[in-house]
Amino acid sequence: MIAFVLTRLMQSAVVVLAMSIIVFVGVYAIGNPIDVLIDPGANQAQRQALIERYGLDQPLWRQYFGFLANVAKGDLGTSMVYNVSVTQLVFSRLPATLELVLVSITIATVLGVPLGIWAGYRPDSLSGRAIMALSILGFSVPTFWIGMLLIMTFAVNLGWLPSGGRGPVGSIFGIPTSLATPQGWAHVILPAVNLSLFKMGLMIRLTRAGMVEAMRADYVKFARAQGLREREVVFGHVLRNISIPLVTVFGLELGSTIAFAVVTESVFNWPGVGKLIIDSILQLDRPVMVSYLVMVVILFVMINLVVDLVYARLDPRVRLKGGE
Amino acid sequence: MTFQSLRAGVAALAILAGSAMHVSAQDLTLGLRAGPDSIDPHWSTLGSQAEALRHVFDTLVGVDENLQLQPALAESWTPLDANTWEFKIRKGVKFHDGSELTANDVKFSIERIPVVTGPMSMTIYTKSVDSVEVVDDYTLKITTKGTAPSLPNDFIRLFVVPASIGMDVRNEEFNSGKVAIGTGPYRFVSWEPKGDLVLERFDDHWGEKPHWARVVRKEIPDDAARVAALKSGQVDMINYVPASDYLTMKNDASLDTVVADSVYILNVAPVVKDVLPQKVKVDGKEIDANPLQDIRVRKALDLAINRQVLVDVVLEGLGTPATQLMPKGFFGYSDKLGERPYDLAQAKALLAEAGYPNGFEIDFTCTNNRVPGDSVVCEALAQMWSRAGLKVNAQALNGTVYFPAAAREEFSLAMSAWGTLTGEASYTYGSLVHSKNADLGLGAFNRTGYSNAEFDKLFQEARNNLNDDERRALYEEASFISMEDRALIPTVILQTVWASKKGALTFTPRVDQETRAYEIKPAN
Repeated sequence: MIAFVLTRLMQSAVVVLAMSIIVFVGVYAIGNPIDVLIDPGANQAQRQALIERYGLDQPLWRQYFGFLANVAKGDLGTSMVYNVSVTQLVFSRLPATLELVLVSITIATVLGVPLGIWAGYRPDSLSGRAIMALSILGFSVPTFWIGMLLIMTFAVNLGWLPSGGRGPVGSIFGIPTSLATPQGWAHVILPAVNLSLFKMGLMIRLTRAGMVEAMRADYVKFARAQGLREREVVFGHVLRNISIPLVTVFGLELGSTIAFAVVTESVFNWPGVGKLIIDSILQLDRPVMVSYLVMVVILFVMINLVVDLVYARLDPRVRLKGGE
Repeated sequence: MTFQSLRAGVAALAILAGSAMHVSAQDLTLGLRAGPDSIDPHWSTLGSQAEALRHVFDTLVGVDENLQLQPALAESWTPLDANTWEFKIRKGVKFHDGSELTANDVKFSIERIPVVTGPMSMTIYTKSVDSVEVVDDYTLKITTKGTAPSLPNDFIRLFVVPASIGMDVRNEEFNSGKVAIGTGPYRFVSWEPKGDLVLERFDDHWGEKPHWARVVRKEIPDDAARVAALKSGQVDMINYVPASDYLTMKNDASLDTVVADSVYILNVAPVVKDVLPQKVKVDGKEIDANPLQDIRVRKALDLAINRQVLVDVVLEGLGTPATQLMPKGFFGYSDKLGERPYDLAQAKALLAEAGYPNGFEIDFTCTNNRVPGDSVVCEALAQMWSRAGLKVNAQALNGTVYFPAAAREEFSLAMSAWGTLTGEASYTYGSLVHSKNADLGLGAFNRTGYSNAEFDKLFQEARNNLNDDERRALYEEASFISMEDRALIPTVILQTVWASKKGALTFTPRVDQETRAYEIKPAN
């Protein structure tokens, strides 16, 4: 078990290293960040002075090793645009994204899994088909479009909810979050619903597919023959058996939603990390790009680790071995 | 699926939240496309940075809505001799911490800039300063490197901070509010990057008292989200209304719109070097000659542009035809330059005369979404030139890709926007049109290789002349020569749109597009 976790952490270190090289080479290929940032009123001498000050006149390998040396000292760098440490910058925006993702993934799971179970349990019923039809809408209609529709309906026409932004921040168990205030909930509900639709569609379809297959399996017949009630058959046996793909997808979606909630964040003007990273890419703010992506890689590795641990818990046949 | 239950839940939430959503008549909430990158006023020359920090910090010299100079923290300024300026500082100006402004604070601010400024370096505004001397508390003597007639124009972005904060504070101390101390009409309350800037009125400000006691400047970069925030009443006013929404909003009885010219002009830059970076093709074969070196070809490009169509059709009315690199009324604007006619027949004739009766094939590169309308104007120009017989491969690139490539001079024919932010000719013509000369710091953004001895001579004569009238005449002549020579081909002046609730607010739009809370007043 410990060996397993250690191997995973070492793998992630390799991925982080590879990723940082890709970002450095990528930015280098696009061009000099100074040419994106510089003021049109600057003259040649000022441009040259800036390039030297940020070490951009150095060969790429030297810039990269300079970065690694700083990372070894625990310093991920300073944003060229904001001149504050990138860790501070990213962590100042991460809570907003986390609470949005948390609410949306909860909506997706709490609604999606039961709906999928029903659609799989009664695949030929009218309600089952209706659920499937709606789930197709969930992941075929573009997110920004649904977002705009939600804003037009609930914010502009009905005036029930704010059109965007994050509400006032309160505190739950010492963690600053807008989920602690009623106004905060009013702000989070539309973007969270918007963000959850795709995942909900996915959850419904996955659960249904698993259900349809499992309901034909022998163990269901035996369970029924044993005289168990339908509720016990579905939730006690079938659900447990179809959980593995659900947990996998849940984990992947959790990670990708945290990292790339950017469409919803822009439409609803949510002050999360997604907007920050897009702006940083557009301004070639390399320190922010590198450290953000490093954090995303670590996040994915951690989530996958947890997913694997959950597998073992759900299915006793799964063994955790180091290095495999 | 869950729509009905969702509605019910949402309604319940709204009732919960509604009680807390109370807005006072003294509050103003603005929805803006961009905000500051820092609260340190000496960090960056970014336009949205200056716009926001102007509420907290005053500049030494002010500008009116047409960017012409007016007194601010300096009451007056006079050149003592060719290399010295004297600035008289306003008396009785209070900082937000209660201390009084003196010439020493101004000196400190000038000297702080090179120490703390970032990649958008503010040293462009202090580059001609050699030394600063405090004569007495209210008099400042500035010695310049060479003659610097435009020093007061440079100082329209010189924000003054108190010397008592010391040289060691950086962006973090400003962002936290610890040293965000200015003399401006508003005090700093809070800010986070890409988030809201919250301000409260400073009652001891030396100028006119602003109406709003509390101002929230919300940063909403997404166009649709900004429009939705106004329509849902979350904000009182928005800037940069997208062209696609403008007509609907103009006809919306519940909204007011205000349209005004900006300083930004879309200029086509034809490269006149001996060898083009992207070679042109005649009858499908690359040729070594550069047709753009021929003034007849550049004139033909100009004549084939139908500027009225660009404005009326392509930009949905949100523009003005441009004849030179600056809007009317700026220092050095030439009245001699008439309207640019649209004449396709003459354009074809000039191309034939220059030896290209069947035209040629050329790459044309523009910015995409850097300013409103750049990519659509780009496509439209390609079509207009194709009617004159050219084959134009238009490509609109994101600024992140465009600017580094432009700096490497990889384009033969390009278009981007340029704004004369100082309101006078030396800023624009010195950077874009003057021959490249690193020693003089001129031609830094001259990517066409254009070099005209007559223009350079006039420009340098003007640059060293302290007499305003003579200098103006020299710049007008220099503008005239370079524009007649088609050094660059200006197309349209872009316009900006603000929108607010019907009959709620009044304000005078500014050519620099700034949205200043203290210049916005309730309508009645």
